[in-house]
Amino acid sequence: MSQGRHSGLRPGLLLSRLALVLACVFLLLPILIVIPLSFGDQRYLAFPQNGPSLRHYQALTVDPWLGSILQSLSIAATVALVSTLLAAMFVTGIWLRRRFGTLLTGVVLLPIIVPQVVSAMSFYYLGAQLGLLDSFAGVAFGHLLMVLPYSVITLLVAYNRIDPAMFRAARSLGASVGRAVYDILLPNLRLGLASSFFMAFLMSWDEVVVTLFISGLDVITLPKRIWDGLRYSLDPAIASVSTTMVALTLIVMVARLILAERTERARRLDPDD
Amino acid sequence: MKEKQEFLEDALMVAAERMKRGRLSRRGFNAGLAALMGSAVMGAARRAHADTGRVVVVNWGGDAVPGFQKAYAGFGEASGLELLVDGSGPSEGAVKTQVNSGAVRWDVCDGEMYSAYRLGRDELLEALDYDVIDKSLIDFGDVHDHGVANYTYSYVIAFDTEAFGDRRPTSWKDFWDVETFPGKRTLYRWMSANLECALLADGVTPEELYPLDVDRALAKIEELLPHILTHWATGAESQQLLRDGEVAMGQVWNTRAALIKEDTGGRVDWTFDGGIISPSVWMVPKGNPAGAKAAMDFIAYALRPEVQVKLMEAYAMGPVSAAANDLLSPELALANPTSPENFSKQVLLNNKWHADHYGETLERYLALIGA
Amino acid sequence: MASPTSETLKIWVFLILPLPVLVVLGYVVPTAGVLGWSFTLPEPGVQNYAAVLEAQRLQTVIWRTLRICLLTTVISVGLAYLIAYRWRFATPRGRQLIELVVLVSFWLSMLIRAFAWLVLLRGDGVINQTLLWLGLIEAPLPLVRNEFGAVLGMVHFMVPFAVLPMLNSFREVDDRVLNAARSLGATPGQVLRDIFFPLTLPGMAAASGIVFIFSLGSFVTPALLGGGRAVMLAEYIYLQMFQLSNWGMGATLAIVLMAMVVVTALIFGRLFGFKNIVGGLK
Repeated sequence: MSQGRHSGLRPGLLLSRLALVLACVFLLLPILIVIPLSFGDQRYLAFPQNGPSLRHYQALTVDPWLGSILQSLSIAATVALVSTLLAAMFVTGIWLRRRFGTLLTGVVLLPIIVPQVVSAMSFYYLGAQLGLLDSFAGVAFGHLLMVLPYSVITLLVAYNRIDPAMFRAARSLGASVGRAVYDILLPNLRLGLASSFFMAFLMSWDEVVVTLFISGLDVITLPKRIWDGLRYSLDPAIASVSTTMVALTLIVMVARLILAERTERARRLDPDD
Repeated sequence: MKEKQEFLEDALMVAAERMKRGRLSRRGFNAGLAALMGSAVMGAARRAHADTGRVVVVNWGGDAVPGFQKAYAGFGEASGLELLVDGSGPSEGAVKTQVNSGAVRWDVCDGEMYSAYRLGRDELLEALDYDVIDKSLIDFGDVHDHGVANYTYSYVIAFDTEAFGDRRPTSWKDFWDVETFPGKRTLYRWMSANLECALLADGVTPEELYPLDVDRALAKIEELLPHILTHWATGAESQQLLRDGEVAMGQVWNTRAALIKEDTGGRVDWTFDGGIISPSVWMVPKGNPAGAKAAMDFIAYALRPEVQVKLMEAYAMGPVSAAANDLLSPELALANPTSPENFSKQVLLNNKWHADHYGETLERYLALIGA
Repeated sequence: MASPTSETLKIWVFLILPLPVLVVLGYVVPTAGVLGWSFTLPEPGVQNYAAVLEAQRLQTVIWRTLRICLLTTVISVGLAYLIAYRWRFATPRGRQLIELVVLVSFWLSMLIRAFAWLVLLRGDGVINQTLLWLGLIEAPLPLVRNEFGAVLGMVHFMVPFAVLPMLNSFREVDDRVLNAARSLGATPGQVLRDIFFPLTLPGMAAASGIVFIFSLGSFVTPALLGGGRAVMLAEYIYLQMFQLSNWGMGATLAIVLMAMVVVTALIFGRLFGFKNIVGGLK
């Protein structure tokens, strides 16, 4: 792919390059603004005036922020685990027996298509009936149903890459379904399972709308606390939370990229695959 | 699968049919549906009443939360119950939604007086027990079956002194006068005293304010709309708008006004002139988690004159008891909405009018402001 | 080895069914119950739907929702096209960089974006202060707590959603086709207009569908950046539920919102094929 061969094929290149830079700045502007704010040295939200300070980060290491962070972490971890497990079971099942696969997948994907606010109403109603409003179980359940579709999609894609012939071969050699799943499918699914976990974790960690409806007093997830902070005042701790989250997001993303690249390379190097 | 679906539909239809005939309450219908979902067992997990060991008091958030915590700090010792202050705002709809859905989280609400009338009428509140609560302590504000005045507050004009030079606004006429007092405004989002302010600005005298001329009031608000930056929904938001200079003048609660003045070193000032004064209310949602008795105990405690004084000290919420007023320091009396010199400058909000008209008027108001 | 039928049964019972059953009991049934309120609350009948057809204030909200979504879609798809276009002709390193920018912004919490935009756009925010300092304006511009702020925030949220499905269709444009056109004497502008653009149209359509549908349900961004002046359907439903306690109307508007989603999906599905839309989600 030499530069010269393509130079004539990139109409409006200069102009579009400038526009691209502007578009990227637009996309990154919020991050660029939040980072310096998080190092502010005043009691209220402001850029550093006498040099950067970590005071807004200190606020995160004590309650109420710390409590919310821990709550969000435990909910997100639970949800990611259960979501990946349930989705893996389901997708394995319909991969093995394709009947009604499309229909059932459609049912499972419903929460993506239904506007979040409608889902939130349903969870409020269900939570009120079961006495689960404002409880760990209730919030985790709402999150679970909101992230499940994404786990399912991720794993469907992962399964698409697996050759059914391999599985059938193992079965015809006498392996039980369980054995074949464990030996043949799992190794090929590792990346998909990891992606599903990451995705589910991040989405639960980030979930606002459903949480707003069904939490409040005993459960205050991090996004809910940020929401309150935004509604009630511009709490400077939000800036440090944001910066931390941006950093974490970056780490996770880079980790995923590296993982994906490594798997891809391994696959290319392995002639049998 | 098909059969199951049909069974579900049948069961739902039967329940809907019964509900129509009034044989099943909505609670019953909901419970039926819950049972249908195989959740009858889990329903028992619902928090048991009267045994939470704590009383959840809800108010309007932000600085009012530590205010309550400070003023009522002695309640734990007096009652053996833990006091938890929630700031999420006991709006009428929120209380209604909690009670109707059977998921009540609050024990005592610091609500709007007219809401207490309305919610009481709809049988969504516990009746107050006046054997426990001493109603003779209430000298300002309403006392009725489902609500009792807890403190007084005013909708006052707060303004940025740097915006208008030497001129100080002293009336709602000034608030509407964007020629003399240029700059952005902010008003309360959930209406409350806004109609009164608009009518006073339009030249109606305090004596002939009620019944409110809603059409005229809304027209007057519409006139100011281009100059209203935003309608604040929480007290802290109103503080932020004035503190950061985003608006030049705002209609805010006197409690918040005092805080803004303090925060800005006097750059933002405020006045009781023209203020709309109203009692706030203690009310108890039906089926409150800690049980009615604990709620009554809290209310009785909070109405003790010396505790009312503490609330005034902590948060400039005016006493509803003359006995409490007598205990105030001269400094505090200056900031007290019910002290005689302040009271005379203000107009008393007629909560009974709002009790009868709030719902439909709020919808019209919200539609006007773009919600 | 178990007989095939009992094995099939096991697969169904232990692998396939748990998830759909969970979704039906824990989601579909309660959602149906909630939506049913539109016919039963405050009293049985269709008065809620009659109100939607008649009441000015409800229609204002519906039209405002459509208007904001349309604007958001046009702007964010336009921006996304530009990014994807530049990505198509970038070096591998350049591509990675662009992907990184898009993905970072994709995963950034919408609350944090709203927070940042609020700080940037406020009356005494960074942008207004800069413009004032430069002497370009005399008074702060109203950039937030209105429809402008809401649309800006939504565009920012939606651009990554629009870029990602486009990349696939842009990648598939064959260099040889473009080369051939050039060697036959087409100007760069002609190549772009007559060849590149039509080839990338399906990707753009998929992106538009996704953005429009996601925008319809927006809640957080307009609620925080619109400041009560740009209330869209989702926030209005919340208002009906928790401020006005009008559950029947809340449910009715939820149905209206879902109908808008379904109609949009059907239109885009009919015009461009469902596969494109669903494939684009990935």
